Amino acid sequence: MPNEVIIHRRIRFLAIMCFIVMAVFVVRLFYLQVIEHGKYVSLARAEQEKRLVIPAKRGEIYLMDDGKPYRIVMNQTVYTMFVDPSIVNKPTEVLAAIREVVGGNTVEGYAERITQKKTRYQVVARKVSHTQAELIRKRALNGVGFHAETARIYPEKSLAAQILGFVNFDGVGQYGVEGKFDKELQGTDGLLQSVTDVANVPLTIGDKNIDIAPKNGQSIVLTIDRSVQSYVEQALADGLKRTGADSGSAIVMDPNTGKVLAMANLPTYDPGQLAGITNFTQVNNGVITTPYEPGSVMKTFTMATGIDTGAVKPDSTYVNTDYIQVGDRTITNASKGQTGTITLQHALNWSLNTGMVTVAQRLGDGKNINLDARNTMYDYLFNKFRLGQPTGIELMGERAGIIPAPTIPGAANQYATISFGQGMDLTMVQVAAGFSALINGGTYHTPTVIEGALMPDKTLRRNSNQKTYNGVIKASTSEQMREMILKSRGAFASSKDRQGYNVGGKTGTSQTFENGQIVEGQTIGTYLGFGGDTTPKYVIMVQVSGKNKNLGGSDDTNPIFTDISNWMIDYKKLQPKA
Amino acid sequence: MSHSTTYNRGQYAQRRSSLSRNQNSVRFTSAIKLGPVTHTVLVALMITVLGLIYLTQATKATSYDYEAQKIDSQIAELSEQKTDLEVENARLTALSTVRESSVAKAMTKSEAPAYVSN
Repeated sequence: MPNEVIIHRRIRFLAIMCFIVMAVFVVRLFYLQVIEHGKYVSLARAEQEKRLVIPAKRGEIYLMDDGKPYRIVMNQTVYTMFVDPSIVNKPTEVLAAIREVVGGNTVEGYAERITQKKTRYQVVARKVSHTQAELIRKRALNGVGFHAETARIYPEKSLAAQILGFVNFDGVGQYGVEGKFDKELQGTDGLLQSVTDVANVPLTIGDKNIDIAPKNGQSIVLTIDRSVQSYVEQALADGLKRTGADSGSAIVMDPNTGKVLAMANLPTYDPGQLAGITNFTQVNNGVITTPYEPGSVMKTFTMATGIDTGAVKPDSTYVNTDYIQVGDRTITNASKGQTGTITLQHALNWSLNTGMVTVAQRLGDGKNINLDARNTMYDYLFNKFRLGQPTGIELMGERAGIIPAPTIPGAANQYATISFGQGMDLTMVQVAAGFSALINGGTYHTPTVIEGALMPDKTLRRNSNQKTYNGVIKASTSEQMREMILKSRGAFASSKDRQGYNVGGKTGTSQTFENGQIVEGQTIGTYLGFGGDTTPKYVIMVQVSGKNKNLGGSDDTNPIFTDISNWMIDYKKLQPKA
Repeated sequence: MSHSTTYNRGQYAQRRSSLSRNQNSVRFTSAIKLGPVTHTVLVALMITVLGLIYLTQATKATSYDYEAQKIDSQIAELSEQKTDLEVENARLTALSTVRESSVAKAMTKSEAPAYVSN
């Protein structure tokens, strides 16, 4: 066979082999690039693209301070410091750094945690500040790292704690404004999807990049006045110390707008130190969540009902024997001796139960608290003064309380007790809001703690959800009631009032119940009143209570009211009457 | 031998129909002839140049990403420092802190103001 033919065959064989190899490559590439295209694209994307959640900033909370919003709840980036004991090569230096820089933030047993070589992750300090984290980073210690997280900061500590509520470890608002407006405060997280490099730096290459900016939470401005709140809390604390009471609550409102200026409860807590909470009562905002029998402060509502319906006048008289029969019950006065023919003003001054039962009777046929009388009382208390139902205040956990229906069995007896403040359960915010309508000319403003929302450009968008009900009682009734309440306070309790101002109020002392039984030797003291110059400028309601303690409106809550009232006159720069 | 520069009507009409206004009636043909290999090389070179231009631009865009990331980090860092200072300021000016300060403790309670009426 000639050489040329052999060479030609070999070349052809090589060409065929090359073709086969190339064909294998082509088939394989076709398989990888066409048939398996989707799979490898997704694998590549998973490797190259990152989806990063951009957390929205939780909205901040402001109080009012000198007429301007003042930030009282803030956010701060803090760090959790951890170590990987398996790669810590200088444990002594790590320990020294922890002690020197983050000594106050360490977790229990942090020193032992560093030595646990079999583990990869041990938290050694929490809530480390940015500055502290930087100081540690500068030491370039092996096996030390930080996780950033956002912490809720309450720089004023326990101030207005029950109004504010707190944010739990899962970032969810609990109680108060934090709980009620959790959704609005949280905002919406943003999203960044992008091709990144090995250091997770987002790159603009790629055609599936997503960049959705986070929508930060709404910042809320409260009507609570920082200075008033602080003073009320201090006055209440002083009052509890003075009286020996275990707990106390107070609310200060503007009667002309329904805005709550202060709302305090003791004992309280620091929302930034949740570990310090030992009892649920510390978190509870009793002003809105704890209905109780307000006692004789309700006599002002009975008198207003009587005057507004024309059944009685302040100088209407009745014969007081210190006892009055209602059905099968005999109702007696707590203060005895004011017997004979006396005016209803006198009865209010001395807080005589018989006087209020007389008013209730005169709402009916004059002798009995019949259905007409009960319907009238219910209409005023429930429908007009809006007692025994949620006020709609923008705080979590508001309770309704109860005004018994006028048709329940034994209603005549029940309404006899209601006339002087027993036999019903009301919250302090209900009573204070109803009382505001009683003395402001007859307009009921739903109580509110929301001044408005602070917009990103720092302008205040005012709250427009507040409701107003005009004509709850006649303006003339309101005027007569103001006079009656001024005289009532003037009779016994005004000696320490700032002279030249209109300060009126009414005491209340109520019994307590456990398992449906009256607890002997244990009463709750309440004081409800207003103050101002020519018109009422503030309403204050104070309540104190304690286990096995007889606490009363005159001796125990009136001094707290006086303290706050005198301070309010100065704070509001009210000028005395000429 | 001389060329005739005059056209008869038929020639002129034929020329008019095949030419447009301002169009050169003379076609030049290049003396350089490019073969298929040269063509391929030139196309490959052009593709390479275009690729390089693309790569330059892409790298430039990526370098902007790093620049932007650096600035973002600085903003975040400064923002964190600002927040820390605000928190510190809020803590120092908190009413409870002020009340406990030595200055506040040394203060006396104010008397009721006296008003003069005209």
